[in-house]
Amino acid sequence: MRYLDFKRFSIYYDPYLIISVILLSVLGLFFLYSASDGNSSVLIKQSVFVFFGLALMIILSQPDPQIYYSYSGFLLIISMILVLIAIFFGPEINGANRWISFGFITLQPSELCKVFLPIFIASYLYRVSLPINLKNTFLTIFLIFIVFLTVASQPDLGTAIVILLSGLYILFLAGLSWTFIGSAFAVFIISLPFLWNNFLEPFQRQRIATLFNPDLDPFGSAWNITQSKIAIGSGGIFGKGFGEGTQSHLNFLPETETDFIFAVIAEEFGLIGLTILICLYFFIFIRCFYLSINARDRFCRLVIGGLSLVFISTLFINIGMVIGLLPVVGMPLPLISQGGSSLISFYIAFGIIISMASHKKLVPR
Amino acid sequence: MTEINETFKEKSSFNKRLIFLYLIFGILGIIFYFQIFNLQISNYSEYEIAAENNKNEEISVQPLRGIIFDRNGEILVNNVPTFDLITKPFFIDNPYDFLLKISSFLKIEKEDKEIFLAQFERAKVLNKELTLMQSISDEEKAKFLVRSHMFENAYVGKRYLRNYLHPEIFSHSIGYVGRPNEDELETLISTQGLNKKINYSYTNQLIVGKTGLEFIYEDMLKGKFGDNLRQVDARGRTIDETISSVPMSGENLYTSLDLESHKAAHKALNNRKGAVVAVDIRDGSIVTLFSSPTFPTNQLANGILKKDFDQLIESEEKPFFNRALKGRYPPASSIKPAIAIYGIEEGLIDWDFSIFDEGFFTLPEDGRIYRDWKEGGHGNTNLFKAITQSSNTYFFDLAYRSDINQLNEHLISLGFGEKACIDCFEEDKVFVPEPMWKLNKHNFGWFKGDTVNMGVGQGYLVSTPIQLAKYAYIIANKGKYSDLSLKKDLIKNEKSIQFNKFTNDDWYKLHESMINVVEGNTGTARRLKDKKSYLVAAKTGTAELVSGDNREQYVETRLDDNLRDHALIIAFGPMPNPRYAVSVVVENGESGGSVAGPVAISVLNSLLQE
Repeated sequence: MRYLDFKRFSIYYDPYLIISVILLSVLGLFFLYSASDGNSSVLIKQSVFVFFGLALMIILSQPDPQIYYSYSGFLLIISMILVLIAIFFGPEINGANRWISFGFITLQPSELCKVFLPIFIASYLYRVSLPINLKNTFLTIFLIFIVFLTVASQPDLGTAIVILLSGLYILFLAGLSWTFIGSAFAVFIISLPFLWNNFLEPFQRQRIATLFNPDLDPFGSAWNITQSKIAIGSGGIFGKGFGEGTQSHLNFLPETETDFIFAVIAEEFGLIGLTILICLYFFIFIRCFYLSINARDRFCRLVIGGLSLVFISTLFINIGMVIGLLPVVGMPLPLISQGGSSLISFYIAFGIIISMASHKKLVPR
Repeated sequence: MTEINETFKEKSSFNKRLIFLYLIFGILGIIFYFQIFNLQISNYSEYEIAAENNKNEEISVQPLRGIIFDRNGEILVNNVPTFDLITKPFFIDNPYDFLLKISSFLKIEKEDKEIFLAQFERAKVLNKELTLMQSISDEEKAKFLVRSHMFENAYVGKRYLRNYLHPEIFSHSIGYVGRPNEDELETLISTQGLNKKINYSYTNQLIVGKTGLEFIYEDMLKGKFGDNLRQVDARGRTIDETISSVPMSGENLYTSLDLESHKAAHKALNNRKGAVVAVDIRDGSIVTLFSSPTFPTNQLANGILKKDFDQLIESEEKPFFNRALKGRYPPASSIKPAIAIYGIEEGLIDWDFSIFDEGFFTLPEDGRIYRDWKEGGHGNTNLFKAITQSSNTYFFDLAYRSDINQLNEHLISLGFGEKACIDCFEEDKVFVPEPMWKLNKHNFGWFKGDTVNMGVGQGYLVSTPIQLAKYAYIIANKGKYSDLSLKKDLIKNEKSIQFNKFTNDDWYKLHESMINVVEGNTGTARRLKDKKSYLVAAKTGTAELVSGDNREQYVETRLDDNLRDHALIIAFGPMPNPRYAVSVVVENGESGGSVAGPVAISVLNSLLQE
């Protein structure tokens, strides 16, 4: 059963996804309280986002997926306009123009792109016949790169990478030819030195270099990773207990509320806590996988598959960075890190996924 | 039918690709989980220790600096306790509220507030303490202490101030301490193994010697930092602090400086520009090293208002300039004994040789006239009279017959153009002018006339007061000497100047002639005769800053204070067995005998009183 029938109207939902998302969000608030040193104003603000985000998720899961198909272009254009507004009119914070300020809250519109870009590409590729010809492939890649470069120029490499991935996932799932993938990969490998020298900022190169050789700069960019590893490692099996993480509370660990909140959880709840958390995420993936395989049509398949992969990628990039396997790049732990924009965008994504999963296709008569 | 096939084909392709991507993430997930397992289980103990080390902080404990004594055991510099109001920004949520709360019962200077607010964020992040008020009064201390239960984030701490007991007298010789600059900090960190956090013993936190003895004997005075092990809880509160090693106070410095003679010099110079240096003839230790005017060392070490500092820096009197070590003065007539020794040693003159002094010397080469200070001259003049009455003509003539290179070597052996002192701060060794130097500097060859001028200590020849004191000491001690020094009981080699023709008898006669400068009725320093109860040997000098060709010009230049002649004297006593040698320079003092002389006598009086 995918919907409750109240005679007059129905509520569409997916019990597994809704429960696990709510569980993660509540756990997230709990972790954030410790990570922010018991700062109640951070907690209240985040709770408001969670509450409205969950409501938004339920609302967005009600309309028939057809509406996302019809408005996908419009939604992407709105998102891009907001990104441009942030670049040209937004406040500059730490040298970046990623935000739009609404007085009481600041939002990061680029987060929306990672939801609406894959939906638009899915709606576009839905119509083209298989296999995808070269023209459509290049058109799609061109679009992906426009969005990617715009966001990367804010600068916001983390979000830009997820946006890039989100587009490529759809392209791949929609049936991008293996020959093309093979040659594109070859070109990428060959041009790697060029990208390294011309595209990356010096500090980004530094971060990648320290990943492979942490002794290179123990007090500079490797410092964060070293402290993060100490936090995780010293958590052991059972962790130090809620609010007892010394690495987190004595300022050894940077960005405890945002990028490094995973290390805080690891320090205070140990391997057992992490395993429970990871199981929750794993459950969501498996559910999305199931929903994607059984989706009612090609569009829904692509969107559910693509959005769930965006969610997974964000999670993996964040954890990979915190445990020292990937270079440091700004990336939240989905549904847990402080920050309204990332939260809301994932609630939107899940709202759309649920809508697609719970509406059966109307059989044409 | 085709459409269904197509759909089926598409669906199976999608499923395969989705499984492919999920598999990639599955593999990544296993790698990640393995890494987490690695960190939390396999390497748990290693990381646990690392986390422990993070919260167990090594804290350096600042030692007290050594105390500085004069030669009689009088304290010149010590450390005095004071109380500071110290805050812990880590536990302060809002610095403005905090200040408001404190201000309700303590008056905090606006400047202190600004400093506090400026450093607050950094101190909070690093969990460092921050001093809000320095040297609070007993009343302020009491006011805080009754309310201390309201302040978990502040306390009254006992700290020390470096205290200069005679700040206006030893400004140059002892110098002062101050905050380390970047290089000095680097040295501190590497040599002392300083930790990031320090328990300060001084109100001014880290201090290092900046000038004078505080600088020269920094290694001895600074002491060794101790170590404490501090444990903090997850909230950063100190649970326990144990001592790993106690700080070692710096060694005390016993100097050869004499407090009373400095007071005498200060009083006698009365803030005129000048310098006094006195040397103990027994071992070459410096008992007086005084430059005037002075500056207040306590304020420099412990905080000076910018306005006051600017005033000192911009003062025309240049109080920071250490005239005793760096002032360049022509030795003028005080050089004459040195020239006399040279003349006898080289056989150019003896005590019986005399000339007729008609008041000037004519350079045979070009007929240029070199005038004596006395119009009409001194008449028939032998060496004894030439020294007693300071005849220029006699020494013009002697210098004229000298070989400049030989003469230079001789002057260097008497300490000119060489560093006199082994532990003085930034001594200027100046130079003895030689023909090559003049060629390079002025692009002019050496004239015979230049040598003639050197015979009376004018022209290109310059010296510092400490060099003059060493020179007086060598003469007083008949050619035997040690390098000058400020630290008491320093072991030094005794050196001696080798003479072939200059005998003990010549030394005796030279001393006699110099005694006659003071004691004789015609001596240039005869006014000093009654100011003391013992015999003194001396030679006065009046250094001309502008040489005039005639008397009218000379009178004219005297109208400008800064162009007036410098007054000099070198003296030693009591004769015949001298204990102390002294040199005095009074800038623009005009007459060596009557201006510099009394200063030298009051210093000698104070030294010989004991």
